[in-house]
This record gives sequence, C-alpha cells and structure tokens, in this order.
Amino acid sequence: MSAEICVKVDHVSKSFRRGSESIEVLSGLSLQVPRGEYLGLMGPSGSGKTTLLNLIAGLDQPTAGSVWVGDTEISHLSESQLAAWRTRNLGFVFQFYHLLPVLTAYANVELPLLLLPLSAAQRKQQVLTALDIVGLSDRLHHRPGQLSGGQCQRVGIARAIVTDPAIIVADEPTGDLDAKSAEEILNLLCELRTQLKKTIVMVTHDPRAASRADRLLHLEKGKLVEQVEN
Amino acid sequence: MKFLRLIYQNLWRNKLRSLLTSAGTMVLVFVVTLVWSILGFLANATTEKPANIKAIVSERWRIPSMMPYAYAASLKEGAATEPEHVKPTDNMTWTFYGGSLDPKKRTFENIVFAFCLEPKKLLTMMDGLDELPPDSSERKSLEVAVAKLEKNRQGILLGQQRAETLKKKVGDRFIIHSFNYKEIDLEVEVLGILPTRRYDQSAAMNIDYLLGAIDSYKQKHNGKAHDMAAKTMNLVWLRVPDTKSFTQVAAQIEASPQYAMPAVKVQTASAGISTFLEAYADLLWGMRWLLAPAILVTLAIVIANAISISVRERQTEFAVLKVLGFRPGQIMVLVLGEALLIGIVSGIVSAGGSWFVVNQLAGGIPFPIAFFPKFMIPADAWWWGLAVGGGTAFLGSFIPSWTACRVKVSEVFARVG
Ligand SMILES: Nc1ncnc2c1ncn2[C@@H]1O[C@H](COP(=O)(O)OP(=O)(O)OP(=O)(O)O)[C@@H](O)[C@H]1O
Ligand SMILES: [Mg+2]
Repeated sequence: MSAEICVKVDHVSKSFRRGSESIEVLSGLSLQVPRGEYLGLMGPSGSGKTTLLNLIAGLDQPTAGSVWVGDTEISHLSESQLAAWRTRNLGFVFQFYHLLPVLTAYANVELPLLLLPLSAAQRKQQVLTALDIVGLSDRLHHRPGQLSGGQCQRVGIARAIVTDPAIIVADEPTGDLDAKSAEEILNLLCELRTQLKKTIVMVTHDPRAASRADRLLHLEKGKLVEQVEN
Repeated sequence: MKFLRLIYQNLWRNKLRSLLTSAGTMVLVFVVTLVWSILGFLANATTEKPANIKAIVSERWRIPSMMPYAYAASLKEGAATEPEHVKPTDNMTWTFYGGSLDPKKRTFENIVFAFCLEPKKLLTMMDGLDELPPDSSERKSLEVAVAKLEKNRQGILLGQQRAETLKKKVGDRFIIHSFNYKEIDLEVEVLGILPTRRYDQSAAMNIDYLLGAIDSYKQKHNGKAHDMAAKTMNLVWLRVPDTKSFTQVAAQIEASPQYAMPAVKVQTASAGISTFLEAYADLLWGMRWLLAPAILVTLAIVIANAISISVRERQTEFAVLKVLGFRPGQIMVLVLGEALLIGIVSGIVSAGGSWFVVNQLAGGIPFPIAFFPKFMIPADAWWWGLAVGGGTAFLGSFIPSWTACRVKVSEVFARVG
C-alpha cells in the first residue's frame, strides 16, 4: 500500500446486535486518509461517526471489510496486539477529556508511557515536551479538578501525543468547550498537523471546527454522502 | 513497579471507603490471629516432643488426684526393682496448696495457689524454667531464690503479678489460711519472685514445710492424723529420654503391686492435656472449622464488596485505559493490586499489631483452662496477616477485576442516537 495513505477503510460494515435484531451502523463504507491530512467528519447524531473512529482506533472490529493504518491491517490483530499497537501509533482525544481525576496533569500524560520500555528520565522528558507543546508547562502538578475545561482538553491532547503517534483521532474535541477555549484547541490541532506532521481524524458537530479541516466528510445512515474540499 | 504508584493513588480516591475496608480487614484478621494462636498453642501442647518426655503419674480413678507422699520415693525411681528396669533421669512431685490471706473472706486479691515441691526441681523440671539459658539474669536470680528456699523452709516464691496483687514484696511475711488443708495455716516469708510470664500468677513453696506442718498437727491432736495426711501428693512428673523408655517406665509402674490403694496411671504430659481438652473438643472443632472459615469468607466478601463498587464507578476509566493501550491483564493487575495492597497492609498491621500488643505490652492473654496460665501470639502471625489479608483480597477482588478488564470500550462510549 502507498506510503502516502495513512488510513484506509475498505468496504467496512459494522452492525450491532441489540436483543434479537441486528442494526447495521456502517454499511460498505470506504475511506482513505493521506498522511498528514486533517480530516473532518460530520453527521447527525447516531450516524455512526464514533463507531467509525473506534474502528480506525482499533477499539472494535468491523463486521465485514478491512481497516489499514500505515502498513498494518488492524482489523486482523488480536485484542492485546491492538492495545500495544495503539500505545505507539495512535492518540485518542475525547469530548469529555476523560482524565484520571486522582492523577496530576503530569501523571495523566505519563500514563501511556508506563506501557513502553522507557527509563524514568526518558518518560519525564517526553511528558514535559508534550505538556510544553500544549502550553501547560506551568500546570504540571494540578489535578483535573483544578483545571478549566480547555486546560483539561490540552492535557488530553498532550496525553494523546506523548508517545509520538502518527495518527490522532478526536471525537468532538471541542464539544464541551466555550467558543474561546474551542478556538485554542483547534489552533493546537492545526499546529500538530502543520508542525508535527500528524494525521488527524476529527469528528465534530461544530461548523467552525469543521472549517479548519483540510477535507470534510459527511456521514449519514452509515454511508459517506458528500465530500467537500476546503 | 511503575503501576504501584497508580494503584496507591487510586486507593485515595475514596478515602472513607478504603479506610472502612481496611478497618474491617484489621478486625477480622485480628480475630483470625487469636483463633489460630489458640489452636496452634493447644496443638503444640498436645504434640509429643520426641526427646525428653515428661511422664505424669497420677491417681488412676479419682480427679483431682491425691496420692500418699509415701509413693514418692519408689515412683521417682520409676518403680524399678530389677537391674534391667529403666529409671527416669529426673523427677518432681507436685502438691497444690491454696489459701487466702484473710481467713474470713476469699477474694481474687488475697488468694494464693502454691506448688509445694523440692525447691531445686524448679531449675530442672518446670516447663519454661528448665530452658532458661544458664547465664541469663532470670536463671541467676532463680538459682538464688531456690537456694534460699532450700535453707528457709518457710519461704515462698511469688509470681510477679501475684506479688503485685497481694501487695507483697521480698522480705514480707504473712499467714496463708488454707482452704484445701483445713487448719494447716502456714506463715511464709517472701524469698523471691518467679521468673517468666508463665508463672505470673503462681507461687512455689518447699514441700517439707507442709509435710512438717501435717506431722505436727498429728502430735497436737493426740496422734490423730490430719484428714489430708495420706493425700499430699497430687502428681509426680518423671523425665524419660524417649518414647521407648516412657513405655517401659509406665509398664513398670502400672505392674507394680506397691500402688494399689489408690491405684495410679502414667501418661505423657501432652496425653494428659489431650484428655483434658476432650471436654472442649466441640468448641475447638467449631473454632477451627466454623469460626475461622466464616471469618475468612466474610473478609473476602467485605473486600469483594468494596472493590466491585469501585470497579462499577470506574467503568469509563478502565475503558480510557484500554484506549491508551492498557491490556486486559494490566487492568486486572491494577484492580487486584488495589485489593492486595489494602488487604496485605491491613493484614500485616493487624496481625503484627496484635502480636506486639498481646506479647510485648500485655504480656500474653490469660487462658484459664488446663495448666497454662497465659498464651502468646506466635511470631508467625506476621505471615498469617500477610497471607490472610492477601489471600482474601485476591479471592474477593478476582471477579471484580475480571469484570473491569472485560470492559468493552465501544459499549462504554456508545451513545444511543
Ligand atoms: N456497542 C454498541 N452496541 C449497540 N449499539 C451501538 C453500540 N455502539 C453504537 N451503537 C449504535 O450505533 C449507532 C451509531 O452510534 P455512534 O455512537 O457511532 O453515533 P455518532 O454518530 O457518534 O453519534 P453522536 O453524534 O451522538 O456521538 C447508534 O444508534 C448507537 O446506538
Ligand atoms: Mg459519537
């Protein structure tokens, strides 16, 4: 597969069983994301955006079709292979930050590094770099409860980039923020794309967020309906 | 281990719950420690030590045993009459003499129970005292006290606590008004204090003093002997080197025609205690097979309860950890680790704490059955704490941690649209 393509979703279907009936959320969906692209995904609630992100992040397996990230067909990996793969190759940014409330900003960002064979000094250096990138060098020892929503989301982004993954997926990263904080987070994501050459896939309901993406896809009833180049 | 700090910090998330779980664990481990100490102590007392066996000679048919002192001389020889007979290597006679300092009123504060014996047997035959290291200060002071008691027949050695309760110290004199030897009231002088905690409540006197007093009773009463005159020996202990010689000595004594009225029997000390404990067999069975297991199960449930509540609250968090790349096994380690940390630390603190408080501060727990005045918590309790705390925590948290590591990320973050 071409080195230029970072994510390739190939004729993927995904259905969930609810009781006896089976609901098809994604049906035969195909999608390619070139390396370094900032892709926006929009669509009504329940259209399957999170489901698609979960497949790209290897958090769930497609019912049919295949998902490639880089040179790896992740839809064929086992659960623990996927876990190890995610630590090194993928950063996930959540709408509600999902930081561990008992840990400081520093310790939250350090979490994924605990899974890698790094010395304490190497971990420290990577954590400080990541927190510096998101502009929180002065909040290392604050706990999530002591940070604003925007600051929490920056910690969330620092945690997503601390292992230096090639791809970052974000599920409504500004969904819970006021306009000003949202703007800052979007600037930060753009920087990650332009300066660190990360591939970003972002789900959003927010038109302003969508306008920052290189390319915008609409998902409706499990299918891509319209493509807009910015 | 990098996860340890994470585990530790998670415990502080809900301080009250962690503290309550820990307190529950401590109480239950404490009770288990006591139960196991008692059972272990009794098991030890009823198990034969293969060398250096003490044989107990007592009256065959009557409890309490009361034999004539005339039996002493030949019993000490193991009733050996033939050259090929086996003789005990050491011996002692036991006579129990009890009384109060106030003839009209007996209270815990004014009674004394003394073993009347040949003083030097305190050094060679008494459990615990015969094993004092030769150059220890306790041994030295006991030797001094024994020498005094041999010279001064009217002396008494008091256990530490008994002396304190009676408010008597070395040099004090007082009269004991006996309740098992009517009208044989003996004036005694405190010559020393018995060492070791075991004899805290005991007292020891020279047997010659009591025997002499019973003789003079006869003279004062126109040749009419005291009622107890032929009943002054409660037990004889014989030391034999091994089980084989025990069997032979026992056979010699039981076959001898000298001990007919009353007849005697020979047992090992532990057999004697076993017989005695048979009365408590149901109680001990219940302690071993009902109480102790019930506590362990309760403990596992206490921990299971706390951990499963905390796991349920943290579903999302476990899902997030999975997204970050934590494998199911690692999440399981985090949850098990929390339970184990709390269980092991509380267990060790509780068991070690009871060891310290019972042995070091309280000086043993009174256990008023059989011969033993007090029992101690074995040093093994530290291990029990670790094993009970850790083991029950593991059992209790196994299922919750399994639930935690099976969390399905896509379900936790699914929102029904
Ligand atoms: N694990 C699951 N089990 C059953 N149904 C699921 C599961 N995950 C998602 N669904 C269903 O799939 C459909 C799409 O869900 P998804 O979360 O992908 O939507 P979405 O586009 O992200 O919506 P929103 O904008 O509200 O976040 C929904 O109807 C949802 O109920
Ligand atoms: Mg969604």
